[in-house]
Amino acid sequence: MSLYERSVKKPITTALVYLAVIVLGVFSFFKLSVDLLPDMGENILMVITYYNGASAADIENNVSRPLENTLNGVSDLKHITSYSRENLSFIMMEYEYGVDIDEATNDVRDKLNMVTSSLPDDAGTPFIFKFSAEDLPIMVLTVKAQESMNALYKILDDRVASPLSRINGVGTVSIAGAPQREIQVYCDPYKLESYGMSIESISAVIASENRNTPTGNIDIGSRTYSMRVEGEFSDATQLRDMIIGHYNGQDVYLRDVAVVKDTIQERMLEAYNDGVQGGMIVVQKQSGANSVAISNAVLAKLPELQAELPSDVIITPLVNTSDNIVNTVNSLKETIIITLLLVVAVVLFFLGRWRATIIVAVVIPVSLIASLIYLWISGNTLNIISLSSLSIAIGLVVDDAIVVLENITTHITRGTKPKPAAIFATSEVSVSIVASTLVIFAVFIPLTMTSGMAGILFKQLGWMISIIIFISLMASMSLTPMLSSVLLRLNPEHGRVYRILYSPVEKFLSALDRWYAGVLGWALLHRRWIVLGAAAIVVFALMLIPRIPTEFFPTMDNARLSITVNFPIGTRIEQSRAFAKEFTKHLQENYPEILGTNFSVGQADDSNLFGMLQTNGEYVVSFNIKLKSKVDRTRGVLELADGIRADLAEYPEIRTYAVGLGSGMSSQSSVDLEIYGYDFAETDAIAAEFASRMRKVEGCTEVSISRDEYTPEIEVEFDREKLIQNGLSTTTAATYIRNRFNGAIASYYREDGEEYDIRVRYAPEFRNSVESIENILIYNNAGRGIRVGEVGRVVEKLTPPTIERKDRQRLVTVSCIVGKGAVLSDIVAAAERELSQMDVPADILTNVGGTYEDQQDAFKDLFTMMLLIVILVYIVIAAQFESFTYPFVIMFSVPFGFAGVLFGFFLTKTALGVMALIGLIMLIGIVVKNGIVLIDYTILCRERGMKLYDAVVTAGRSRLRPILMTTCTTVFGMIPLALGRGEGAEMWNSLGMAVAWGLTFSTVVTLLLIPVIYSIFADFGLKRQDRISARKSEA
Amino acid sequence: MKAVFISFYEAFYDEVLEVLDRHGVNGFTSWPTVYGRGSETGEPHYGTHAWPTTNAAVLAFMDDAKVAPLLKSLHELDLSAEQQGLRAFVLQAEEMTDRM
Repeated sequence: MSLYERSVKKPITTALVYLAVIVLGVFSFFKLSVDLLPDMGENILMVITYYNGASAADIENNVSRPLENTLNGVSDLKHITSYSRENLSFIMMEYEYGVDIDEATNDVRDKLNMVTSSLPDDAGTPFIFKFSAEDLPIMVLTVKAQESMNALYKILDDRVASPLSRINGVGTVSIAGAPQREIQVYCDPYKLESYGMSIESISAVIASENRNTPTGNIDIGSRTYSMRVEGEFSDATQLRDMIIGHYNGQDVYLRDVAVVKDTIQERMLEAYNDGVQGGMIVVQKQSGANSVAISNAVLAKLPELQAELPSDVIITPLVNTSDNIVNTVNSLKETIIITLLLVVAVVLFFLGRWRATIIVAVVIPVSLIASLIYLWISGNTLNIISLSSLSIAIGLVVDDAIVVLENITTHITRGTKPKPAAIFATSEVSVSIVASTLVIFAVFIPLTMTSGMAGILFKQLGWMISIIIFISLMASMSLTPMLSSVLLRLNPEHGRVYRILYSPVEKFLSALDRWYAGVLGWALLHRRWIVLGAAAIVVFALMLIPRIPTEFFPTMDNARLSITVNFPIGTRIEQSRAFAKEFTKHLQENYPEILGTNFSVGQADDSNLFGMLQTNGEYVVSFNIKLKSKVDRTRGVLELADGIRADLAEYPEIRTYAVGLGSGMSSQSSVDLEIYGYDFAETDAIAAEFASRMRKVEGCTEVSISRDEYTPEIEVEFDREKLIQNGLSTTTAATYIRNRFNGAIASYYREDGEEYDIRVRYAPEFRNSVESIENILIYNNAGRGIRVGEVGRVVEKLTPPTIERKDRQRLVTVSCIVGKGAVLSDIVAAAERELSQMDVPADILTNVGGTYEDQQDAFKDLFTMMLLIVILVYIVIAAQFESFTYPFVIMFSVPFGFAGVLFGFFLTKTALGVMALIGLIMLIGIVVKNGIVLIDYTILCRERGMKLYDAVVTAGRSRLRPILMTTCTTVFGMIPLALGRGEGAEMWNSLGMAVAWGLTFSTVVTLLLIPVIYSIFADFGLKRQDRISARKSEA
Repeated sequence: MKAVFISFYEAFYDEVLEVLDRHGVNGFTSWPTVYGRGSETGEPHYGTHAWPTTNAAVLAFMDDAKVAPLLKSLHELDLSAEQQGLRAFVLQAEEMTDRM
C-alpha cells in the first residue's frame, strides 16, 4: 500500500502523526537557544613569545622568523601574520573556516616543540592562545558613582561582580575604570638622603614589620598552646608611626621622611559614563553558553544588586549584544508571519475556495515546525540563517501541495468521489512532484558543502531548506490527499458571497488564460523575433554587470558605535580626558540618536582582561556609544559614523581616530592595501602617499596605516665601565630607578580578607623631570651613594614601531573604510586606479586585501557552486524527461533569472553581495520549475495526439494558472524579506530581492520563450523523422 | 447463467463491489489494474505519462434474473460520473457442473 493510499484510508493516524511532529517541533522551539549567526567555530590561533630586553628587530629576526618558517608548514593555514615589538613576538595564524581547531592546535604544538630549542636562550617558551568570537564581551554595564568612587572597586567586586559570575554560563566578569585601593608611601628624596635611607630600606622594614609569624607551641600545665606574633597592621595609619631607622641616636619614623596615604592607584583606566566618572563591568560568557539567556539573567539580577549598593552608585547596561540578537530574531519572526499570510492570500486568490486554501496552507506550518526538530537535534540555534531559511521556504513548500490538490480537484469535478480521487490523483502526480523536489535538492544539498566562511553560514541554510522541502513533499503525498478526501465535496455548492467576491477574479483569470493563449499563438508565428529579443535582453543584462556595485556582506546596523581616538604618544591623561569630556557633550548635543555614551582613558591594569584586548594608554580615548534602535531613528549607523568622523577631523590635536560599528559581521567593509617590502622607509613612503591619495577619494571615510610612528621614550643609558668602577650592575641601577618611579611593592595591607598593595616610591612632585632621574642615588655594596647622572645619561629616544609581517614578509597595511553610500567595488576600483598612478619600486609588492579578499574568495566558491548546481539540475531534469534536449530547453530560463536580478539590482542601485549570490543560486532551482511544468504538459498533449502548435498553446493555456500561482507564492514569499526594514534586515534584503526580481522576470520571459524554443527543437525533430521515413520509403 | 464483464475507472472499484453486493452477486473475479480505451467517447486509461489513469475490471457470473437490475444500477453509477467511464457487457456463460 502506498503512502497516500495508507494515509487516505487511515485519516486519524495521519492526522496524529503530523500532530506529533508539530508537538515535537514546538517542544524543540522552546528548547532552542537564540543567537545572531550559526556557530562559526574558531579559526585563529595565536602564538605568543616573550623575549625580554630584545628590540623589535631582534624579535623579528630571532623569534618571529624562525617560528613563522616552521609554523608555515601546518595544514589548512590561510595566512600567518606576525607582530614583533619590543619584548614580544606575536604570531597570528588564520585558518580556513570549519577547520578542527583542536587538531590544528596539536599540530602547532608539535611544530613549536621542534623549534623552541633553536630560539634564543633568554626567550620564553612560546605559548598558544585560541581566540574566538566567543571571547568578546557580551555585556558592558556602566557604573556611575560620586562619593563612593574611591571604594568603587571593592563595592563592585563584592556586590556586583561576584554575584554576576555565579550566574550559570557567565565566564569572566571584570571591572574596569574603578580604581583599586592602594597604600601609597610617598617619600621625599632629600629627606631620605639626609637620613641615609633608601626606598629599598624602607620597603624592607615595612615588609618585616607587617607580618604575622607563628612562633611554636608552649606547654603550660596539662595544655599545649600555639604561639603567634601578630605584626600585621590593623590600620593603615599605623604605618606612619613605624620606626624605620636611627639617625644620630634618634629614632626616625616613617612620617619623618614620607607621607602615607590610604588612597587609590595612581595610573589607571578611567571610565566616564555620560560624562560622569565611574566604572565599567564587562561580562564574558563561557564558551558555548547562550548569550541571550545570560543577558536576560544578568538584567534580571541587576535591580536586586542595585538595591544593595550605596545610593550614589548607579548601574546601567550600555552594551548588550543580546538586544541586537533578540531584535533581529524578532524582526525575522515578524517577517515569517507576514510571509505566511501573504502566501496564504495568494493561494486563496487563485483557488477561490477556503477549504482548498486550508489544505494547502496546513503544509506550511507542518514543514516549518518539523525543521525545528532538526535544529534542536543538531544542536543549532535560532539565528539569522535558520530563520531566514524558514522564510525563504514558505513560498516553496506549497508548490507540491498545490499540484496534488489541483489534480484531486480535477478528478472530483469529473465525478470521482473525494476518497478514491485523493488516492489516484496523488498517485498520478507523485512522480512529477518528486522530480521537482529533486531539483530543489540539487540546489540546496550542494550548498551544504560550501567551504570557507560562507560555507559555515550556508551549510545551515542548505540543510534547513532541504529538510523543509522534504517534509513538504511527504506532507503533500500524505496529509494533503488525506485532508482533501475529508474536506473536499463532490459537488461543491458555492454561496452567494463566493459568487460576488470571486466571480470577478475568476473572470480576470479566465481572460488572462485566453490572452496568454493568443499571445503565445502569435509568438509561435514570430519565433525569430522572440529568440532575438530574448538574446538582446541577456546581452543587455550582461552589459550591466560592470555597472553593478558589489560588496561582501551588507553592513548591519546594530545600534552601536565605538570610537578610538589617539593623541600623539606621550599626551598626558588630563588632556585626553578634557577632550573626551568635551566631545561627549558635543555628541550628546548633536546626535539625539545617542542613548548613552561611555569613554575610557588611561592605562589599563594588567589584570583587566577587557582592557588588555584593546589598545590603551593615557593618549588613547575609547568611546562606546549606544544608539536608539534602528527603527526609531532616521539616520543609519553609517551616516552617524561618517558624521562623527567629520567632527573628529576638526580637532587638529588628534593624531588618528577610528570609528567602528562593533565587531564581526557587523563591521564596516574595508579595502586593505597590503604593501610588502623589507625597507621601512620605502614602504612607509608608499603607504603614506597611498593613504593621502585615498583620503581624497569620495566614499572612503577613514584611512589608516597599520604601522605606527616611532614612539618617543626616555632612556637611561648607563656607562658600563663607570658602573663597574662603582661596584654596580645595570640591573641594580635599573631596579633603583624603577623602585623610585614605578614604586616598590613593599608588602600587602590586609582588611576584610582583601589584600591591598603597599607601594613605596617618590612623591609625585619628585618624579616630573629628567633631573629627578639623574639625581637618584644608587647605593653600592659598600654603602656609598652614586647619582644616576654620574654613571649614565638620560636621553630621549625614538623606538621603532611594531614590525608586522604577513606570510613571512614585512608588510604595512593601509585600510580604507567604505563609507555610507559607497560600495566595496568602487573603493577597490579607486584604490587600483590610485595605485597605478603611483611610482612603486619593483621590489615592493602590493596586494588588495581586507574585505575585498574575503569577498573574492566567497564569490569564487559560490560561482563554482553555481556551475555544479547547474549541472546537477540538468541531470535531474534529464532523468525526469529521459532526454538531453528538454532540460536544455528548460534551462534557458536560468539566464533570464540572472538577467532579472541584474536589472533589479541596477534599477534599485543595490550592491550584489554574498547573500544576493545565494539568491542567484536558489533561482537556478526555482526558475526551472516553471519550464518543467510547461514542457511536461506540452509533451503530454503531443503524446495525446495533438499537433505541435496546438499542443504548445493548449499546454500553455492550461498551465498558466498553476505556474502563476507557484510563482506568486514564491515571489510574495520573498517580498517581506526583500523589503524588511527591521533590525538586521540588511542581511537578507538582497537575497529576497534577488529571488523576487529574478523569478518575476524569468517567468514573464520564459512563458513565451520556452514554448518557442521547444517548438523550434521539436520542429527539428519532426523534420529529421520525416527525412528518415522518406529515406526508408525510398529504400 | 450469464457473465457480466465490467470495465471501469479504477476509482469506482469500491462502488462496483458495493453494487454487486447489493444485488446478491457473490462470485466475481477482478483485476485491479487493467489498461484499455472506450470504443467511442472513452478516454484511454493506459497508466502512461500521457494517459496516467488505469482501469479495473470485474468479471461476475450470476443467474439470468440478476442481470437486468445489476446493469441498471451500474448504468446509474456510470451516469454519476460520466467522464470517468464504466462499461458492462453481458456474455452467455456455463458453469462446469452444467455439463456433467
